[in-house]
Parts: sequence; structure tokens; C-alpha cells
Amino acid sequence: MRFDQVWFRYGRRAGWTLRAVDAVVPPGRTVVVLGRNGAGKSTLLQLAAGVLTPVRGTVRDRPPVVGWVPERFPADQPFTAGQYLQRMAALRGLRGPAEVERWLDRLKLTEHCGTRLADLSKGTAQKVGLAQALLVRPGLLVLDEPWEGLDSVARTLIPELVADVTAAGGAVLVSDHRGEIAGLPDAIRWQVTDGAVRPDDDAAPDHVVVEVAVRRSEADQTVTRLRADGHRVLGIRDPHADDTAGRAR
Amino acid sequence: MIALTRMRIAAFLRSGRALAPLIAGLVVLGLIYGGGSSAAAPAYGYSAVMLFPVLAWQTKLLLDAEPDVQRRLARLAVGAGHEASAGLLAAAILGVAYCAAAMLAPLPFHGIRDRLPGTAEPALATGVAVGVLAHLLALLAALALGALASRAVTGTIRNGLTVLVLGAVLAVVLGLGDSVAPWLAPPLMATARAATEVPLPDLGRFTLLTAWAAGWATAALAGYAVLRRRRA
Repeated sequence: MRFDQVWFRYGRRAGWTLRAVDAVVPPGRTVVVLGRNGAGKSTLLQLAAGVLTPVRGTVRDRPPVVGWVPERFPADQPFTAGQYLQRMAALRGLRGPAEVERWLDRLKLTEHCGTRLADLSKGTAQKVGLAQALLVRPGLLVLDEPWEGLDSVARTLIPELVADVTAAGGAVLVSDHRGEIAGLPDAIRWQVTDGAVRPDDDAAPDHVVVEVAVRRSEADQTVTRLRADGHRVLGIRDPHADDTAGRAR
Repeated sequence: MIALTRMRIAAFLRSGRALAPLIAGLVVLGLIYGGGSSAAAPAYGYSAVMLFPVLAWQTKLLLDAEPDVQRRLARLAVGAGHEASAGLLAAAILGVAYCAAAMLAPLPFHGIRDRLPGTAEPALATGVAVGVLAHLLALLAALALGALASRAVTGTIRNGLTVLVLGAVLAVVLGLGDSVAPWLAPPLMATARAATEVPLPDLGRFTLLTAWAAGWATAALAGYAVLRRRRA
């Protein structure tokens, strides 16, 4: 799956949340999206899943079956966990309770099968969210902060589920702002900063990021000089011109 | 799509959101039939006009019953087109049930009477047929208005209510006899006026009204489809 010059904003008057995103999610691999709160990680994930549509550019080669685990499971629904998963299975074209029962069992949800969604704890609701995304094996699994609310035992499930999907040739996109990435050692890392997405290969321990403000007229000259000195310029942004900011040169 | 339609109807009924339009409908029917019995065609014609905003409201409530995130999950599961269509189908099924109940409700209370002997009033069966048509045309327009007022399109409750109320008021005001642009509104008032005429207008008039309502609803629902393409 490929992001091809994807731009996104939440309204005509809003600033760009993501700008000129060019990135590839290889099949069979896991991509961890890093970034501070509000950087645009969830937006990027929803664009990948197809929940949001780019304002400019396109997302190409999205697999036909996409599983999406939203950051907050929509628990305000008048169903029990079992009824909800059965209905979601029907939406995916599954007949019979076998697949639902398999996931209830695997995610240790069987005892909560008859509990109303609104009465579930945050972690249990999150597991229901995981189950609905995995009822049919996804070609792309999008996990938005999947560790939120899960206890230490349940947390170990995430790398297992991710490994299952990638082993079958599917791709996984997962956001993380809590440092849980250690459970996914082979993952590709993307960093979302100021609307731009770039590989997080500057995470080496001997590197730091220094933000420098320069006069507009001297920007090009400074970039050239920094590069000549062997530094890597990660991005240039103009705080007064939202639309043109943030593109790495 | 059928599974999603069933899920949405179940969610709407179980959540208790169906109660408010039901009570509003009872008030409307009480106002229409409280004064005594009346011939079928004009009574049902007025009933269709007065139930139009209630049906549009019910459509909006049904489409808004699902949390936004769940609507997006459903969209991923069945596709954007089927997700939007399933909501409309669920609203149409409940709307038909609502209209049927509204037409049957006055019968036990003798709210509908047979043709008066010696008059040019239509027969009871003809009057009921005109009433069914009037309710179906009102439902068609209400589905379109309710869909355009739904949260998936308008984003906020305030905007949604503005579209709903403005649409309902304009449908009546623009449909008045001396309106400058009656074609801008669905033919609710025109159908009600036709239903009160004695003798009833010929079939051609009702065919024209049906085509008008279908054209209006098609245009409005096409607008809904275009808006929903970008708004999940």
C-alpha cells in the first residue's frame, strides 16, 4: 500500500494535518507510527484504513480486507459484546458463530460475551475492538494505540496478533506514543512531525534534533551550509505559511 | 448490506430513540382525527403533510443512532456505498411501518368514514389508495431530508437540526398555493390539495405528483451520496 502525495486537513479553514506524504507500507511488514500527541498519527492511520479520504493525493493498492482498531472503541451501542461481534461478523459475510467464538476465546472475552458494551471496562472494550478487526484475516491491519487500557497480560497479545497477520502476508500499521514498540522488534518506524512523515532512522543514540530559526532570506544558504557540514536537514517549516510548511528538502 | 440494515434497525429500536417520533406522531394524529370522522382522501392527505417532519426526524435519529466511529467501522466492513444505502433502507423500512401504523390508527376510533351517499366523494378504497400514495410520497421526501440532516453530513447537532427544521418549513411554505417556486419543494402540499378535491383529480395528476416527488428525492439523495463520499 502506498501514500502518494497525500495531503489532509479537517476543513477548508483548518491547517494541514498532513502534507505531501509519500510512503510505502510493504506487504508482510509492520510499520510503527511514532509522534507526539496531536502530530497526526491517527489521521495517517485513518487515511491508510480508508476511513478518511485525502484532500489531495491518493492512497493506492489498499488490500480489499482492512481491519481497523480505533483509538477509542465505540461502546455506546445497545448490544452485548457477543451480539456486537456476531453482527460485525455478519457484516463481513461470515455465517455461524464459529469465528466469533474463536476470537472470544483467544482474547479471553468469553466471560464478557453477555455483558453490554457500555458496561465493559476500557481494556475489555479495546479487546472487542481488536476482535472485530480480526474476524476476517485482514490484508491490512490498522491499530490506533492498541495498548491503551490493556493489562500487562493482554499487552503481550498485540505482538502475537501482529505476527499472525504479517506471517500471512498482510501489512500492519500501528501507532505508539507509549514506547510499546519494544514488542515489535522488526517493525519499520515512521515519525510524524509537523504534518510530515519520514522514516525514523534518526533514532540512533548519538543523534539529537536541533531546531534552529533563521531569517527567511538566509534559509537556502543555511540549509546548504548545514548539509556541507555533514548534517541531515529533516525539514523546513514556515510558521506563518501553513500550506507550504514542513516539506523536507 | 442487509446485515447492516438489520443492525441499524436493532440499534435504533433498542436504544429507545424511536420513542420520541412515536409520541410526536401520536400528537399529530390526535390533532387530525380528534375532531371527528372524515373522508379518507383528505384526512390521509393532511396526515401525510403533518407526518413529513416527523418522518424526516425519525430518519435523522436512526442515521445518528450509531456512534461516528461505529459508522466508519461499518463502512470498512461493507464499503462506502452499501454503508450509506443500508442506513436509508433501514429508515425506509421503519418509515413504511410508521406510515402503516399512522393510517391504521384512526380506524378503531372511527376517524375515517365511508363516502357520504349522494356526493361526489371517492369510494373508501380509492380514498385509502390516495392516502397510501400521499404517505409514500411524504416518506420519500422525508428520507431525503433526514439523510441530508444526518450527523454524517452536517457534522454537528446544531447544523443537523437547522437543516431539518429549515427543510421542513420550506417544504410547506414553498408548497403553498401561491408559492413563487413550488418546484423547489417536494409535492407534499400539492398532493394534499389534490386529495381534498371533490371529485378527485384524474390519474394523470397523481402520476405527475409521483414523478415530481421521485425527481425531487432523487436530486436530494444524489446530493447526499456526493456528500457522503467524502464524509465517513
